[in-house]
Amino acid sequence: MTTASGGFTPPNAGKSARARKERTRMVAGGVLGGIICVFWLLPLLLVFMNAFKDKREYNMGESWQLPQGFHLWENLQNAWGQGLGSGFFNSLSYGLVGSAGAILLASLAAFGIVRLKLPRGLWWFLLIYSGTIFPFQVYLIPLFKAYTSFGLYDTWVGMVLFYIAICIPFCTFVMRGFFISMPWDFQEAARLDGCNDWMIFWKIMLPLTRAPMLVLLLFQFTWIWNDLLFGLVLSKSDNVRPIMPTLAGMQGLYAGSDGPTLIAAVMIASLPTLLLFLLLRPYFMQGLRLSSVGD
Amino acid sequence: MTVTQQGRTPARRASARRSTAASLAPYLFVLPAVFFVAVFLLAPMLYTFWQSFTDADGLRTPNLVGLRNYAELLTSSNFTLSLRNTLIWVVASVVLPVGLAFALALALERVVGGNFFRTALYLPSTLAAAAAGVLFSFIFDPTSGVLNAALGALGFSSLSQTEWLFRSPLNTWSMIATYTWQSVGANLMIFLIGLQSLPREPLEAAKIDGASGLKFPRLITLPLMTPYVTIAALMAAVNGFKVFDLIWVMTQGGPARSSETLAVTMYREGFILFHQGVSAAIAVVISLIALAFSYFYLRNVMDKESHV
Repeated sequence: MTTASGGFTPPNAGKSARARKERTRMVAGGVLGGIICVFWLLPLLLVFMNAFKDKREYNMGESWQLPQGFHLWENLQNAWGQGLGSGFFNSLSYGLVGSAGAILLASLAAFGIVRLKLPRGLWWFLLIYSGTIFPFQVYLIPLFKAYTSFGLYDTWVGMVLFYIAICIPFCTFVMRGFFISMPWDFQEAARLDGCNDWMIFWKIMLPLTRAPMLVLLLFQFTWIWNDLLFGLVLSKSDNVRPIMPTLAGMQGLYAGSDGPTLIAAVMIASLPTLLLFLLLRPYFMQGLRLSSVGD
Repeated sequence: MTVTQQGRTPARRASARRSTAASLAPYLFVLPAVFFVAVFLLAPMLYTFWQSFTDADGLRTPNLVGLRNYAELLTSSNFTLSLRNTLIWVVASVVLPVGLAFALALALERVVGGNFFRTALYLPSTLAAAAAGVLFSFIFDPTSGVLNAALGALGFSSLSQTEWLFRSPLNTWSMIATYTWQSVGANLMIFLIGLQSLPREPLEAAKIDGASGLKFPRLITLPLMTPYVTIAALMAAVNGFKVFDLIWVMTQGGPARSSETLAVTMYREGFILFHQGVSAAIAVVISLIALAFSYFYLRNVMDKESHV
């Protein structure tokens, strides 16, 4: 630094000094960022490494010591056997069927409101969208009562129907935005060619909406997978209960899962959404943009 | 009705029928979604509203009791403590994750490895709140937890026995720390989206005029970022207000109901103590507060939308 600015002053010194300063800033920021990230991910690593220990090593040693043996596989098997396996497949099916169902119904609604120019469309949209405004607590008791009296409590169908319903408002919001931004000419052309409303929706619109639909699928699947509250309230048996309530149940004071098994259970429960994020990062970012900034 | 129909020719009647069919079509598309939302969300909501004025306990036929449940809330120490905790949650979850994320966004914009940092910081957000709660229960464990071990190793031996989740109000703050760890990533993304979409000219002009150091974010970036900060803050307030999973997994609102928030109190009153009327009243109170937040949030988001 001192040598460069010591001797003579080249004509573009100010500019290169600024560029150098900018480069220093970028590198210093990079180092700072690295430190912050290590600090941020440390909790994950410190806890997850205990899933490699066996029960004895976990109880005798300190939790921050590196594992001596490799017992991850048996811990995962233990967790899987304690109900997490069925919870895994339950949540997988709820996530797939629930989000796909919601996206289909929401697309139909958004198509009707925007592309078929439903009278008072905004009003109908707000009616559907109002489902996102209220906190979930407001639905719990009546749902529980209705589910028990209609035989939907603790059934696969009951869970799926609810997950479809709770995902519809946000999906409608996104699909509506998408349909608004679509040009009108090919819809009119299709109509002149004799397409009816249904054909326009199914043959022309749906193929064009693949991108927002994938984003929605990702987001709604993650939401359903991560749900604890409605699983707690609307289910109880192993073959219906989603994965998160199962995990929470394993952790309870009297549940008797040992440390390594429980940590392995957290790993199993977190892996699908973690993988989805890492593999489909651009779509995730797009979904985040939609759900927060709204465009 | 009959009078007007008598006056029509058959041809006109047929075309009228066709256009009724056409005008019914959009309703058919909207109907399924409206049905699901009405049956599973709106009807339960109205029922809860009604139930909040009754003495329902899940067994006997409920009687209307007017505003008694609401009055009970105001006088119950459980409720006031829960309300206080909820306020702490709302304020803290606006200040900590949003503030931290904003600082990080400014620090990590256009640095070496920025993309990697973003991914790493967002990673906790992909975990379920329930999973994060279980994870941090291990970290906060008084005897085997990493946190106390680290404090002991760093020489803070007086702190190394701390019962992070068993003392009030420390347990609420420990959970807020967990929440912050999880939600900084999502807020960071909002701000990075915002920073990317800032107009370039004022930034370049300020740079040429010699704005540097902390002056730059304070005088230039912050005003331009205001809409994003508003949206992030309002969203954080709503989310902080609704936190349930994390608390349920880490303390179940305990010990002795000391770390309950309104969301947890509602669940406990309704599903463990079977005070369904009181529980419904809490749900209504939560809804009204959330409605107020949502109004401001939606107004901000909808402002950006020029269509409709």
